[in-house]
Amino acid sequence: MIGALLELDRVSMTYTRGGLLSRTRVEAVIDVSFRLEAAKPEIFSIIGESGSGKSTLARIVLALQAPTQGAVRFKGKDLAQMRGDVERHAFMAAVQPVFQNPFEVFNPLKRLDRYLYATCKRFAGAQGETAVQAAADTALRQVGLSLAEVRGRYPHELSGGQLQRVAIARALASGPSLLIADEPVSMVDASLRASIVNLFRKLRDELGLSIVYITHDLATAYSISDRIIIMQKGRVVESGAARTVLANPQHPYSKTLKDAVLEPLAPGARPLFAR
Amino acid sequence: MFVVLRDLLRYNGEFLAGILLTGIVVVMALLSFFSPYPPMDQFVAPMDVPPSAAHWFGTTSRGQDLFWLLTYSIRNTLAFGLLVAILSRILSLSIGLLAGYRGGWVDRVLMSINDTFIVIPLFPILVLFYFVMRDNMSWVMLAVLTASLGWSYDARLIRSVALSLRHREFTQTAVFSGMRTHEILSKEHLPFVLPIVFSTSLNNMNWSIGLEVTLAVLGFTDINRPSVGGMIYWANQHSAVVAGIWWWIAFPVGLVVMLFIGLYLLAVSMNEYIDPRSRLERGGGRKE
Amino acid sequence: MSAAMQNFAARPEAAEGPVVAVRDLRAWYRLRLFGVDREVKAVDGITFEVRRDEIYGLAGESSSGKSTLVKTIAGAIKPPLEIVDGEIKFSFMPGTKGLSRAPPEIAARVRWRHLSYVMQGSMSVLNPVRRVGASFVDFAARHMGLDKAGFEAAVIAHLARVNLPGSVLMAYPHELSGGMRQRVAIALATICRPDFVIADEPTTALDVVVQKDVLGMFRSIQREMGSSVLFVTHDMGVHAHLTDRLGIMYAGRLVEEARTPDLFARPRHPYTRHLIHSLPSIGDDKPRIGLEGSPPSLASPPSGCRFHPRCAFAAERCRVEVPPMESVGPDHRVACFEKDRVEVTP
Repeated sequence: MIGALLELDRVSMTYTRGGLLSRTRVEAVIDVSFRLEAAKPEIFSIIGESGSGKSTLARIVLALQAPTQGAVRFKGKDLAQMRGDVERHAFMAAVQPVFQNPFEVFNPLKRLDRYLYATCKRFAGAQGETAVQAAADTALRQVGLSLAEVRGRYPHELSGGQLQRVAIARALASGPSLLIADEPVSMVDASLRASIVNLFRKLRDELGLSIVYITHDLATAYSISDRIIIMQKGRVVESGAARTVLANPQHPYSKTLKDAVLEPLAPGARPLFAR
Repeated sequence: MFVVLRDLLRYNGEFLAGILLTGIVVVMALLSFFSPYPPMDQFVAPMDVPPSAAHWFGTTSRGQDLFWLLTYSIRNTLAFGLLVAILSRILSLSIGLLAGYRGGWVDRVLMSINDTFIVIPLFPILVLFYFVMRDNMSWVMLAVLTASLGWSYDARLIRSVALSLRHREFTQTAVFSGMRTHEILSKEHLPFVLPIVFSTSLNNMNWSIGLEVTLAVLGFTDINRPSVGGMIYWANQHSAVVAGIWWWIAFPVGLVVMLFIGLYLLAVSMNEYIDPRSRLERGGGRKE
Repeated sequence: MSAAMQNFAARPEAAEGPVVAVRDLRAWYRLRLFGVDREVKAVDGITFEVRRDEIYGLAGESSSGKSTLVKTIAGAIKPPLEIVDGEIKFSFMPGTKGLSRAPPEIAARVRWRHLSYVMQGSMSVLNPVRRVGASFVDFAARHMGLDKAGFEAAVIAHLARVNLPGSVLMAYPHELSGGMRQRVAIALATICRPDFVIADEPTTALDVVVQKDVLGMFRSIQREMGSSVLFVTHDMGVHAHLTDRLGIMYAGRLVEEARTPDLFARPRHPYTRHLIHSLPSIGDDKPRIGLEGSPPSLASPPSGCRFHPRCAFAAERCRVEVPPMESVGPDHRVACFEKDRVEVTP
C-alpha cells in the first residue's frame, strides 16, 4: 500500500540513566510498529498506564526525541533525515500536539491570542493583522469558540474546558494533518469532557484529521477511537479495531485493564466494594 | 504597575523607608546640575569651614564646598552602580536563560564558565587592572570590568528558574506555535525572572557601589573624578580626622550609608512582593 | 492495662448519632490584598453528616469547593481561608466549632487518634528523608500508649491488613511504588482506629489496576475498623463502587445527596443527572453530550440556583431564589425547584 500518513517501523527507545558507575538501562518503548493511512483519517488510541511508554511514543512521533532503534516516517519521510529549521517547521505545521493540562498549556502571564497569532503567522502563512485574526477566528470557530471570546484574555480567565478548546484551536491553526493528543481530557472536568471528546470526532469527520489519542481511560477510548493499541511496559500487547478489542480483550493484561475500569452501575448491579 | 507601587507604599513600611532614603540620595545627585561650583575647581570657597548657613556641609581643606561636591560625587557613584547593574543583568539574563532553556552541552559549557567567575577573587583582579591601566582606567572601564565579574551568581539563579520553565507545557506550546529560541526566552521566560532581576539588581548596585567606594578610598580609581570614595580618599590625604575636620568624612560616609540602607530595604520589600506567601500574611487574610 | 490502651482497644459505642455533623457551614477565602477586597465563597452554606460506619462520598468538579470543605473539616485552615459561619460537630470532641477553632491541646489529642486523613499525594504525609517506620512513630506512637516492641508488632499486624510486608517500615518512601505508598498512607491513617478518616482523592494519581486494588483494601479496612470515611473524588466510577452515600457539590453548595445506588438510579438534580449520563462506558455506543458553559467563578457566582445558567430545566424562579435542600425520599435530599420535572424527563 502507498500513502501512509504516519508509519512507525519497529521503534524502540532505550534510556541510560545514572552516572559512570551505576548505569541502568530503561527500555521505555520496545519494538512498536503501526501505520495510519493518509486516505483514511481515523482516531488511533494508544492505551496504557504510567510507565507503559505511551508518552515517550508521543514525544517520538512529535520528533522531540529520536528513537534509539527503528524509524518513524511521516508522509514517507524519515524523521531522522529531517535537517534544518525549514524542514522542521514544515513538519511542525503538519503534526501538532495537544497536551494534558489545559492550565499549563499557556503561559499564565501572557494573553492567549498570542499563541494563535504566532501559529497562524508562522505556519499558515497569514500576513498582516486582519489576515492573522481571520485565520485565528476560523481555527477557534472549528472548536466552537470565536476570536471575540478569546482576544485579550489571560489563561486564568477561562475554564479548563475552554482552555483545552483554545489549545486545540491553536493546533488546528497551522493546518495540520495529524494531531497528537496526550491525555487531553484527563484534567478536564467530567461535565466538559464529553464535549472535547465529541470535538475530536468532529475534527476527524469534517476536517479529515487523523488523531493519535493517548490515554489511560478505556471508556473514552472506546467511545471515540477507530483503532487502538494497548501498551504494557513499552510493548504493544494487543491491537485492533477499538470496539472489538475493548468489548472482548484477548491478552491477559488487556483483560485486567478492562476489569479495573470502574463504570457507573447499571440499576440493580452490585458495587465492587460494597459494605 | 502604578497600583502595585501605590499598594507597596501603603502597606509596606520597608518599601516606604527604602523609597525615602533612596529618594533623598537621588535628589542630592540631581542637585549637582544646579551647582554653583564646577566639580573639580579647588579653592573657590574658604578652607575648613564647619557646617554653617553659607556652607551647609562645611568646606574642605582644598577649598571646596562639601555639599555641592557631594552632589557630584553621589551622582557619579550612582551612575557607576546603575551601569554595573544594567551590564551585569544583561549578561546574567542572557546566559542564565539560554543555559536553562537549551540544557545539555550548552548548559554545561555556560555553567562551567559561570562557576569559574564565581570563584575568581575579584578584588585583586580589579587592583591589578588599575596598576596595568593606570591613567587609562576610566570609570566606564571600571564599570564594565566590575559587571563582567559580577553576573555569575545571578546567572545561576536565573538558570535554575529557566530550567524549571523549560519543562512546563507552555514552553512546548510556544515551540509548536513556531516561536524561535530568542522569542521564547525574551517573551515567554523573561517575565518569570523579571521580579528576581529587579531585586537582584538592587543588591548588585549595593555590591558594586561598595566595591567602587573601597577601591576609591584606597586610591585605586581615577582620583580626579569626584566620587564618594574619592572624597574620603582626599580627606584621608589631608588627615581630616586628625585635624578635626570631621564633616569631610562624616557627610560622604553618611550619604553612602543612606544609599546602602535604602537600596537594601527596597530589595527586601521587592523580595517580599515577589513571594506571595509573605505578601498574604501582611496584606490580607487575618486570622480569627 | 493502661487507660490509654483500653481507650485504644475499645471504641466508645455510647455516643450515638453521626460522627460528623456539619451545619450551614460557610468558609470563604477573604483576600485583602493591598487594599483590594476579594471574597471567594468556596463553601457557602453546606449541611450534611457522616454517620457511623459508613463511607460518605463527596463528588464535584474543580472549583466546586469540595477541597475547601475537606480542609475546613480537617481543620487545615490557613489565611486567607476562614470559617465565616456554621457548625462542625464531631462525636469525639466537645463543642460545635470544629477542629480549627478548638483549643490547641484538644485538637492535638484528637488529630490522628480520632480523625486522620489520606491525601492524593502520599508524599505529603510521608517524610521523604525518613524511613516509613519513623512516620508511624511520629504520627501514631503517642496515641497508642504501647511500648516499643508492642507498637512495632501492632504496626506490622496492621500493615498486613493492607497487604504490605513489615519490611516496608525500613524503606524510604521513594523506594516504594505509587500504589504501595498510598497503601502505607492508608495504613498510617487507620492504625489508631480513628472514628473518622478523610480521604481526599486518595487514588486519583494511581493507575486503574492499582486503584481497584487500593479501593478494595480501603473498603475492607473500613469494614474491619468500623471507621467512618469522608471520601472525596471527582471520579463518579469510584463513587459508584465504593461509597454508601453520596453528596454532589456544585459551585460551593451541596445540590443533591442520596444513597449511592439511588443517586445513580434516580438522580433528581439536573447537574447530577448530567454527570451520570455523560460518563462514557465500554460497550455503550450512545453519544454523550457535554454540558454547555463553564463552572461559575466562586468570586462572583450566579444569583439564585448557581447551576441555572447551564441548566436545561431552568425556570424564572431559579434565577432569583436559592433552592433549599429538600427531602424527596429516604435519605435523599435535593436542592432544585424543578426536581419533579427532572425526574420524569427521560
